[in-house]
Parts: sequence; C-alpha cells; structure tokens
Amino acid sequence: MTPQASQQLIAVLELRWRIFANSLRTVRGRLELASRIFIGVIFVVGGLGGAVALGGAAWFLTSEGNVEWLGTLLWPVFLFWQLFPVLATAFTENIDSSSLLRFPLSYWSYFLIRLAYGSLDPATTVASLWLLGITVGLGVARPKLLPFTVVVLLTFAMVNLLLARMIFAWLERWLAQRRTREILGVVFFLFILGAQIIGPLITLYGHTSKPETTMLGQEVFNAQRPLPPGLAAAALADIVQGQPWASLISLLLLGLYGLGFFLLLNFRLRAQYRGENLSESVARKVTRAEAKTLQRAWNVPGLSAPIAAVFEKELRYLSRSGPMLFTLIVPMFMLLVFRSSGRNQGVFAHAPELTFPLGAAYALLLLTNLCYNNFGSDGSGVQFFFASPVHFRQIMVGKNLAHSCVFVLEVILVWLGTSLLYRPASIEVTLATVVCLLFVLPIDLAAGNLFSIYSPNRIEAGVFGRQRASLTTVLASFVIRGALFGVGAVVLWLSRHYAGSWIIILIFSLLVGLAFTSYVFVLDYIDGIALRQRENLISQLSR
Amino acid sequence: MDSVTISTENLTRRFGELVAVEDVKLRVSSGQFFGFLGPNGAGKSTTIKMLTGLLAPTAGRIQILGLDLIENLVEVKSQIGVVPEGMALFGRLTGSEYLNFVGRMYGLDRDTAARRAAELLEFMQLADQPKTLVTDYSHGMQKKLALAAAVIHGPKVLFLDEPFEGVDAIAAGTLKAMLQRMIARGATVFLTSHVLEIVERLCSHVGIIHRGRLVAQGSLEELRAGVEARIASLPVAAAPGEKLTLEQIFLSTVGGSRSGAQELSWLS
Repeated sequence: MTPQASQQLIAVLELRWRIFANSLRTVRGRLELASRIFIGVIFVVGGLGGAVALGGAAWFLTSEGNVEWLGTLLWPVFLFWQLFPVLATAFTENIDSSSLLRFPLSYWSYFLIRLAYGSLDPATTVASLWLLGITVGLGVARPKLLPFTVVVLLTFAMVNLLLARMIFAWLERWLAQRRTREILGVVFFLFILGAQIIGPLITLYGHTSKPETTMLGQEVFNAQRPLPPGLAAAALADIVQGQPWASLISLLLLGLYGLGFFLLLNFRLRAQYRGENLSESVARKVTRAEAKTLQRAWNVPGLSAPIAAVFEKELRYLSRSGPMLFTLIVPMFMLLVFRSSGRNQGVFAHAPELTFPLGAAYALLLLTNLCYNNFGSDGSGVQFFFASPVHFRQIMVGKNLAHSCVFVLEVILVWLGTSLLYRPASIEVTLATVVCLLFVLPIDLAAGNLFSIYSPNRIEAGVFGRQRASLTTVLASFVIRGALFGVGAVVLWLSRHYAGSWIIILIFSLLVGLAFTSYVFVLDYIDGIALRQRENLISQLSR
Repeated sequence: MDSVTISTENLTRRFGELVAVEDVKLRVSSGQFFGFLGPNGAGKSTTIKMLTGLLAPTAGRIQILGLDLIENLVEVKSQIGVVPEGMALFGRLTGSEYLNFVGRMYGLDRDTAARRAAELLEFMQLADQPKTLVTDYSHGMQKKLALAAAVIHGPKVLFLDEPFEGVDAIAAGTLKAMLQRMIARGATVFLTSHVLEIVERLCSHVGIIHRGRLVAQGSLEELRAGVEARIASLPVAAAPGEKLTLEQIFLSTVGGSRSGAQELSWLS
C-alpha cells in the first residue's frame, strides 16, 4: 500500500471517529451509543457462547475420530455469516461509496475500505468468534495441526468475508433498477417453489427403509462437499486423518472460491469506482401522445384528499424501493427455514399453529424501518409536510394506512405460505392471531409515530444495507413488541389452560378497543408534538 | 395605500447563544416582488423558514395576508406557496406524480390537480420525461419542478429560498417567466437570492439583512437614494452619471468589500 493510500485509510478512520465523537454531543447520540453497547454485549455473549459450544463440539468430534462431521459446525457459521446481514439489515453497516469517490482515492484503497466496513459488522464479529472457538477446539484436540487449522479457517473466514461483501454489492446493484429487481423477484419465487420439494423429499425418505435414508444423507453430504464449508471441513478432516495432499487440494479449492468471490466483488466495485449511476433513470421512451395523457392521482374511496395523497405516495415509494421490497419477502424465506428445520417433531408437530402466528409477528418486526421511522425515506421532502396546509395527524394516518395495508398483505402471504408448506392453520389460531394483531398493530403504529418524530433517521430508499432506523429505535421497537406479544402470549396461555381458544378472542377484543383508543389518543397530540419537533425532524432528514 | 401581505414585529430567533435573527420588522405589500438579501449566515433562510411555518420564532409576531401565522397556521399555509432550502421534493415520484400529490395536499380535486400538473409540466418544459423519477432530474429541472409545485394551488404569496441557485440561464428564464406571471395575477413574491443581477432585474422592493438585523428595506430607488446620500463611504463607487447597481448598494449597506485579498502562503 502506498503512503498516500495509508494516509487516506487513516483519514477515513479518523473521520469515522470524529463523526462518532461529535454524535455524542446530543442526547440522541448518547442514547444511540448506549443502544450500540447493549446490542454489542448481546452479540458478544452470543459470539462467546457459540464459540465455547462450537469449540467443545470440534474438540469432541476430533477426539472421538468423527472429523467427517466437522462440516456440521462450519455450515451454521457460514449460513449465519451470509444470511444474517441480509435478514437483519437494521444491524448492518454499509458505506455510501459516492461520498468517497470525489477524493483522489486509488481503486485498491476504495476496495479495502469497502472490505473493512464489512469486517466490522456483527455477523462477521460473531462468526469470527465462532471460528476462533472451533480453532481452539481443534487445536486442543490436535495441537500439532494448529498452524494448518489456522490457515484453513482463516481462508474460510476470508471466503466468507468476500462472499458477504459480494452478495451485498450485487444485491444493491440488482435491487437498484426495476428490470433487474423484477428478475431477482422471479428468481426468489422460483427458489421458494423449488424449496417446496424439500417437504415431499423428507416425506418420501423420512419414513422409508434405513438404507434409502442413509443414501439420501450420503447424497446431501456429497452435495455440500464441494461448497466452501464442505471444503474447509474436508481440509481439516483430511489432515487429521493423515491425508495431507487431499487436504491441500481442498484448501486450494477453498482458496479458488475466495478468488472467484474476490473477482466478482472486484468487478462490481470497479463499476462503482468508475462512477456508475444505479438509478432508475433508464426510462422507457414515451410518445408525445402518451406524454400528453393526463395522469390522475388515485381515487381512494372514503379518504380525504390529503390522506389519499399521502397513502398513494407511500405505496409508490415502497414499490420503488427494491431493498424495502426485498425485506418484505423475507417472512416467506423464514417460513422455508422453519419448514426445512423439521417436520412432525418437537414443536414442529404443531407447525401451522406456531408458524402462522410467528410468521405474522416476524412480518411486523420487518416493518420497523417503515413504522418507526416513517419519514426516513422522505428526506428533505419532510419540509413540504410542514409547509402544506394539512394537519400532521392526516399525514400520519395516510402513512399508517399504507403501512397497515403492506402488513395485511404480508400476513395474508404468511398464511398462504403456511397453508402451502404445511396445512392451513386452524380457524381458532387464525382468528386468535388476527385479533392479537389488531391489538398489537394500533399500539405499534402509535409508538412508531412518536419514534418517527422524536428519533428520525434519513433513509436512502434505493440502496441496500443503509436504510436502517436508529439502533435506539430498533431496540425500543423490540421492547414494545416484546411487551405487546408478551401480553398476547399470556392471554393465549390462560385461554389454553382455563377456557379454550375462543375466550382469547373476547379478551383480545377488549384489548383491541384499548389499543385503538391509545392510537387515537396519540394521534390527537401528534400535531403539537410534530410542531415542537419540526426543527429536529427537518435538520435530521434534510442533511 | 397598498395592503400589507407580509408583516413581522420584533421577529427574533435564537439558537442557544447565537442570535440568528433579531428584532426584524418586515413590511411587504401585496403585489410586490420582494428580494431578501444578505451575506452568508445573515439570517435569510432562518427568516423565510419562520415566515413559512418551518421554524418557530423565539419571539415576535408574523402576519401573512392579515392572519397571525401561529394562530392560523393551516389557513395561512393554504394561501402560500413555498420553495424551501433543499426544495423538499420527493425523489422517488415522477414529476407528474409529485405535482398531483402536492395538488391533492392543497385540497385540489383529482381532475383539477391532474390538469394543472400537466399544464405546469408543459410550461416548465418537463413534460417530455413523464417516467423519470425526480431523483434523476437535473438540478435545474428539480428547481423548476419545485416552483411548479409551489404554484399549483394558485397561492397569493410565494416564498422562494434561493430559487436561482445552481440554475442555468435557460432554466432561470423559465423560472423568471413563471414568477412574472404570478406577479401579473396579483400575487406577492418573497425571494432570497445571492444572484444580485436577477434580483435587480426582477424585484421592485428589497430588504437587506445583516448579522440577523434588517438593515435596509424599501424600493430599489429608495435604497439607492439612501446610499447615494452617504456616497463618500461607498467601497465601490459608481461611475459619474451612472445609477448605482444593486451590488454596490448591497456592498455599501453590509459594509463588504472585494478588495484586500490576503496572500495564501501556498498559492503565492
């Protein structure tokens, strides 16, 4: 690295530090730090706990001579590393490259900065701790092989890091434009349809004769072997079993994966570095007659003009935010994860009864960015709301209605997904879940409205991994939803033990009344609150 | 006597220890094209934000069209149009969608909003890109769209914060044409600008704010006469027989000078 490049990297680090230090001047910044520390502690505990568990498992497998099972330890690490940042963008840090490109930054400095940001996110930290645990476990079991273990697991870590960055970079690219977004959507749904084969396969082989099950297990084992976790596990297993050449070949293939991911990431970042424009600007050519066609606003019966206008604007925004749309299809993905986790065993014996309420609750969690930061994507446009002759409560109602529609659509999709993947949830569970949501949603929206005004965060609607609410808001939303669903769970538990499922509908009806009253109560005060907070709101969103 | 459209009494805004605007007493009559000038950081944007309800004053009163702004916030807002700093656009709508949205927010019915949006896009020469998102508009196009949005409901008063900043001559011509139409139909225009030539050509009246205080206010002729009275202290004097330009009036009023350039050690 040239001295100039090192200086630039140091300058970026100092910049990050200064931004962080300056943010502590405000109460909001200090709250954000407290939230960050709290979340950091949770991740560190998870990371250390996982490291101990995986380390112990690695030691056990190696000591017992079952090294071929090491892959079962590396796959969870791999999946967590790759999926967590995509499924939980609220905790993901990504860089806005456009702010760096105006400086005389060499391409490799730019590349390193992008990579360095990736290595600071929670998934990388936790997964690295887990790998460290595995390294220690293997090192204790086979001290002589520790250097080679370190090399293999470092390569594995590098492959993961490059793959995660590459996925982010390409997802951002594909989600940025309508055509590629639509193609990605089709691919995702094909994946969902394809994944449904898992169920019939398990049914087919799960209850049949032992040799066939073993054969399927062997096929799965063979299929995963050429993939990065399989190769890393093979490299470790082979060296333990005294086959250094086979081990080296696996390590080499793992390195080739790393090289492949590096090249794909490099290709993407080069395009960014050259200054590509990932906007929707490639608009279809229109004829003069089309251009002359009068375009009217939506006619939404029952809504006043301003509320209808905000409702329409919110849904248009959402439909043009690829990353947000991507987040909204994640519940379907989670259903698949549930589905492939087990069938007719343990808690999954009651799958539809559990999956539908859990899926619906998860769908609500994913609306955090929308509901708890509902001016985030408006940017400086928020000034218009204050300049227009409209009460703030009307704006909030328009936004809340749009977000509620999205949520209802999500819940319907989850119900359909549950029905397709398992069987339809019972009428009692469906009704209980719906009524529970009717209790949770108004309070959640009311809380979201308050947080949106008190703790706004500007969101870049067109980019992936940078559209997060403040961590304080995310934590608060978790606490509020935890409390709300806690109430729901208690009522459900009471009803199951003392009366039967129908009673909860009655109790929830009372709670629903209370929830709507709370929503209206907050709405009544929202105009005054918004006016008092307008300076903060405008300055936070307009910068 | 002209009716007063915009008036303020003791308008003051503090940010902690900093007094951004102090004791400002503005008078803008109906039908005036009023240019609000001042050096960077003088308090222009803070004043216009207070006049449009985007910022609460620390002290003082604001009356727009005879109505107290604080007490009649919604009513006043329905009669004014605003192009604030940063333009307040919604980037992920198309121009037409944005204008329809704004029209509906100002209470226009769907047909009227659609018709006016189409006319405005045509007038502003934005109609040939109906599918382009606002975020992909050039800066000049965004300025034109922001002005179109500010006038879609036919306001009686227009507040424009730096409408000509970063705009090329062609776009500036379109903006000026629109503003002159507004004045012709009896509206009042209140704008801040750094482009003194444009202000001089467009505005009938000018106010100059310096370090938060309103240091001059009146028609161009009145200000010129005031400055000529103390011509001796003028940093940039006009040639004999020539009228003082607004730039000279401005520099004289705020005490600025273009002379006295300092040496930069690394640029000498």
